[in-house]
Amino acid sequence: MTAIPLWVRRPAGERVGWLRTVDHKEIGVLYIGMGVAFFAVGGLEALLLRAQLATPESRLVDPLTYDQAFTVHGVTMILLAIVPLLVGFANYLVPLMIGAPDVAYPRLNALSFWLSLVGGIILYFSFLAGGAPDTGWFSYAPLAERSFAPGPGVDYYILGLAVNGAGTIIGAINLTVTILLMRCPGMAISRVPLFVWMTLVTTILILGAYPALTAALVMLFVDRQLGGHFFDPAGGGQAVLWQHLFWFFGHPEVYIMVLPAMGMISEIIPVFSGKPIFGYRFVAGSSVAIAFLSFGVWAHHMFAVGLGEMENAIFSATSMLIAVPTGVKIFNWIATMVGGRIRLTTPMLFAIGFIAMFVIGGLSGVSLAVVPIDLAVTDSYYVVAHLHYVLFGGTMLGVFAGGYYWFPKMTGRLLDEGLGKLHFWATFAGFNLTFLPQHWLGAVGMPRRVFTYAASTGWGPLNLVSTIGAAILAVAMVIFAVNLVRSLRSGEVAGDDPWDAFTLEWATSSPPPPENFPVTPAVSGRRPLWDRKHPELRDPS
Amino acid sequence: MSETGFIPGERIPPALSVSLARSAKIGQDRTLLGVAVFIASESVFFLAIVLAYLAYRDAGLVTAKANLDVPRTAIFSVALFSSSATTALAARRASRGWLVATIALGTVFLVGQGSEYARLLASGIGPGRELFGTTFFTLTGLHGLHVLVGLVALFALLAAHIRRPSALRPVAFEAVGLYWHFVDAVWVVVFSVVYLGTLL
Amino acid sequence: MRPPAEAISALALVVGAIALLIFIGVEGALIYAVLRYRSSRLPAGRPARFERNTRLEIAWTALPAIVLAVVFVLMLGTMAEIGGGGVEPGLRVRVAGHQWWWEFSYGPVTTANEMHIPIGTAVDLDLTSADVIHSFWVPELGGKSDMLPGTTNHLRLFARRAGIYEGQCSEFCGVEHAWMRIRVVAESQADFDRWLAAQGRPAATRGGDGERIFLANICVNCHTIRGTAAAGAAGPDLTHVGARATLGAGVLPSDVARMRAWIADPQQYKPGALMPRVPLSDPELDALAAYLVSLK
Ligand code: HEA
Ligand code: HEA
Ligand code: HEC
Ligand code: CUA
Ligand SMILES: [Cu+2]
Repeated sequence: MTAIPLWVRRPAGERVGWLRTVDHKEIGVLYIGMGVAFFAVGGLEALLLRAQLATPESRLVDPLTYDQAFTVHGVTMILLAIVPLLVGFANYLVPLMIGAPDVAYPRLNALSFWLSLVGGIILYFSFLAGGAPDTGWFSYAPLAERSFAPGPGVDYYILGLAVNGAGTIIGAINLTVTILLMRCPGMAISRVPLFVWMTLVTTILILGAYPALTAALVMLFVDRQLGGHFFDPAGGGQAVLWQHLFWFFGHPEVYIMVLPAMGMISEIIPVFSGKPIFGYRFVAGSSVAIAFLSFGVWAHHMFAVGLGEMENAIFSATSMLIAVPTGVKIFNWIATMVGGRIRLTTPMLFAIGFIAMFVIGGLSGVSLAVVPIDLAVTDSYYVVAHLHYVLFGGTMLGVFAGGYYWFPKMTGRLLDEGLGKLHFWATFAGFNLTFLPQHWLGAVGMPRRVFTYAASTGWGPLNLVSTIGAAILAVAMVIFAVNLVRSLRSGEVAGDDPWDAFTLEWATSSPPPPENFPVTPAVSGRRPLWDRKHPELRDPS
Repeated sequence: MSETGFIPGERIPPALSVSLARSAKIGQDRTLLGVAVFIASESVFFLAIVLAYLAYRDAGLVTAKANLDVPRTAIFSVALFSSSATTALAARRASRGWLVATIALGTVFLVGQGSEYARLLASGIGPGRELFGTTFFTLTGLHGLHVLVGLVALFALLAAHIRRPSALRPVAFEAVGLYWHFVDAVWVVVFSVVYLGTLL
Repeated sequence: MRPPAEAISALALVVGAIALLIFIGVEGALIYAVLRYRSSRLPAGRPARFERNTRLEIAWTALPAIVLAVVFVLMLGTMAEIGGGGVEPGLRVRVAGHQWWWEFSYGPVTTANEMHIPIGTAVDLDLTSADVIHSFWVPELGGKSDMLPGTTNHLRLFARRAGIYEGQCSEFCGVEHAWMRIRVVAESQADFDRWLAAQGRPAATRGGDGERIFLANICVNCHTIRGTAAAGAAGPDLTHVGARATLGAGVLPSDVARMRAWIADPQQYKPGALMPRVPLSDPELDALAAYLVSLK
């Protein structure tokens, strides 16, 4: 594919090195690097969990290690892998997509990244400083109080998450302002690429949700360090207060983790279908509906707490309702493919995989929103299956799709398609083998967060299957790692626009110059690059 | 000039440059908008803490009634509230004098809070003493911390203004002022909930 | 009355069927679109250009909403049913979760880890916790309910058939959360009454070696054996520990050898458990184990 040079390439600016950079693209790459590294760490922790669970009454690891492993696995994957990956892509792509030279506050942007990273380092430092947190990623009180968790693990959890969260909040402010104020001429908010739309909604979710976590962490800190009683029933406090605050953050957090990935595949599916997105306004608008609703569903994580039938029914209703705007997105993606000319490239495969797997996770989510069903399977492996279907089957596949799609823009080289397809199919097989059986395990009574289970339960065989699946997943990730390293060194040179794409980031060089565009672009439609390449096929604006 | 050899905002779209020149409207200036978005996010933070306070209010009410000095705190609160006016004047005139006045009033408030803390601690009421102590010190302490941050920002502004008034964009005053108003507004809520709440 | 577990399964079956239909529909459409519109299978040409259809959007917004409304109404019915549905319970049991064992109180009669219920009777549990949050779950008998310190929650159980139902704590409650298993023995009303009467009796004290050793050691600080001076509350009531099938909330089957091994070193079987290793000589251990197992 020959690139269409819209602008003359300018000599790259002077590099200042990764430590001092304030360039949004380099910071984006740093974020992505952080995400990939922590994903590998979190994945290795997951392999430890699976190894221990492969057979009943196994003594491979001791219970304490197991508890630390799943706690750190959850926190790592969610806050140190997925969020940085998504924020990284947003950092890299948003200014390019809206024709801006950088984000609104480049220095703050660097600060955000370093805070996020330092938060992660603080969390991991706990391993050296007397023990990692072992109370689960949502660290329920009173288990997390000093009286039951006397070690320093929870303190590192508090500090690490607070610092990491500060970085994420500052980053969200930056991106919000960037999207609101830095769009190039003609880039009306109704024309921005859907990835930008969903990033905007995500940042607003971050701004509304993360402070609740910070507040909860501060209270837990007061309890642990200053002898407070917020969550201490013995001192008159209430354990459920923590749960309300945590899930007021935690539920929006899950949409924070999926909306940007949905934005990515909303870019990828149209390009490889050769068609504009179907129902742009509905795909964008449904994100707003999701964001709105997601602040009103948190107690579906607390159905078994005993809030009351009425409360449970209300939160069940709002939770179910959220399936409606989510469905709208799914249907529009499929409608985008219908009538197109689908190129089954690796990014497209992963995007299709996203839809296929996310639907399963979404449907199990809706079943969990049905109170009596949740009362049966809450805190069991059914929930573990659900969360991995949406987070791995959804978000991670979306991130891989985005990775294969934008890697050439970021590096100038394509990832290998052959290895990519192998990576996809190995992931697909390994993933389903790992997590599909967990639905059954949960339904027949296997609780989550158990370091082992009695042989008499009969849960052995399905657990073994799940562990084998995880091993296949690990192989798939190694294939990906090989592909990354090989393509970075000697991948096919990409050119500016290897996919015959639609949006502005493909209109500049690969990788883009420091200032992104030598002159400020001006756009007049939703597919500016496509319009330039095919004036006769312009979108009606 | 940033290290990459590229001045952020230098090549921002013309339409935006014009509006930047007009400046000062929250919806158009990035600094102001940034502060506004930050404040929105902070509001959620304080909301959570205030709700926690309210959730435990009844359990701590007796202690609160017996120990909080409402009239005295009301006087110090007036200092903080009036600093909202001085900061507005400082912003309108880019005035050093009003800035100093704001800093002075903010400091008076903090001193007041400090003496209140000292009194409570002396009578054995700390963050570990019953739910009242826990919630009271957390809520007012976090607010005090924000006042402190505001004071630091005001100081920085003052220092910058003394060094080179011309290098300071007028919006800097407004941005710091916006934050200070917020800190003030939070105190309206905290004072009502914590102090006036004991009179009910 | 239908057992809550059956009511939940029935609902899950309906919801599962609906989900399956949606799954087949959506995945089918996806696969169809991919296979039908693969560029390699299409003659040369340009892709179609349609990109909006408001009627379609309304349809696929409304349709799921209607489906969900139906699910919601079905759910309300089941919630009312499992919530008790106006049926008075035939038995109330107070259950307290401890790190990592269960305390069951039938009025004044207290036992641990193994619970007996009569069949064909609605049993209401009053659930609470002595320390952190636990959750009561016996999948075949009903849903689950969390157990919070300072709060009492309620859960209804109902067993149709006699038998042993296994369950376990399902809220993470610390290192030995995995070995906080529940055994529910459902039996005829007559068997149950006999069991309850036996549990209500104090332990037969014969003043033997085992009993003497027990009373002379720190065991008494934590355990109660009704009929003796031992009245500790930090560990399970041992008045009839010999009548229970397992030790350590399911970690070991109960017999003299295992009892001895457990007392000799609980940490080996349940690392982190809140029962310390008490230094005892071999003969002491033998006597103690024999004594405890004899407490039927
Ligand atoms: C990316 C993350 C993500 C996403 C997107 C979701 C999406 C949803 N989740 Fe999930 N969830 C998690 C991550 C996520 N979840 C995590 C991490 C946990 C566990 C936390 C923990 O305890 O550790 C969890 C737990 C969790 C619970 C608590 C379980 C428990 O602990 O007992 C519940 C209960 O209601 C729930 C519900 C839902 C619902 C209703 C959706 C909906 O948004 C799904 C909507 C999507 C669809 C339904 C599919 C597409 C729609 C159609 C094809 C239209 C037609 C469909 C219908 C008519 C049904 N989730
Ligand atoms: C985005 C989130 C995410 C992701 C991607 C994953 C990925 C995986 N998770 Fe996890 N998981 C969670 C989020 C996630 N998880 C959360 C939130 C919990 C709840 C925690 C809690 O209860 O507190 C959980 C809990 C959880 C449990 C339950 C533990 C318990 O309750 O006791 C299990 C058990 O099987 C599990 C397994 C796995 C496996 C096998 C993977 C695999 O998919 C991992 C595959 C990845 C690898 C195998 C990486 C291997 C890497 C290499 C070989 C190096 C390659 C190098 C490069 C790529 C550079 N996870
Ligand atoms: C510090 C408190 C403490 C002391 C001292 C103690 N125990 Fe225990 N004991 C416990 C706890 C707590 C458990 C529950 C352990 C678990 O299952 O997690 C327990 C469990 C048991 C059980 C198993 C009960 C069951 O139904 O599963 C037996 C038997 C027992 N203890 C006997 C003894 C004997 C004999 C001694 C003295 C030699 C003793 N204990 C000393 C706290 C104590
Ligand atoms: Cu008790 Cu888990
Ligand atoms: Cu949720």
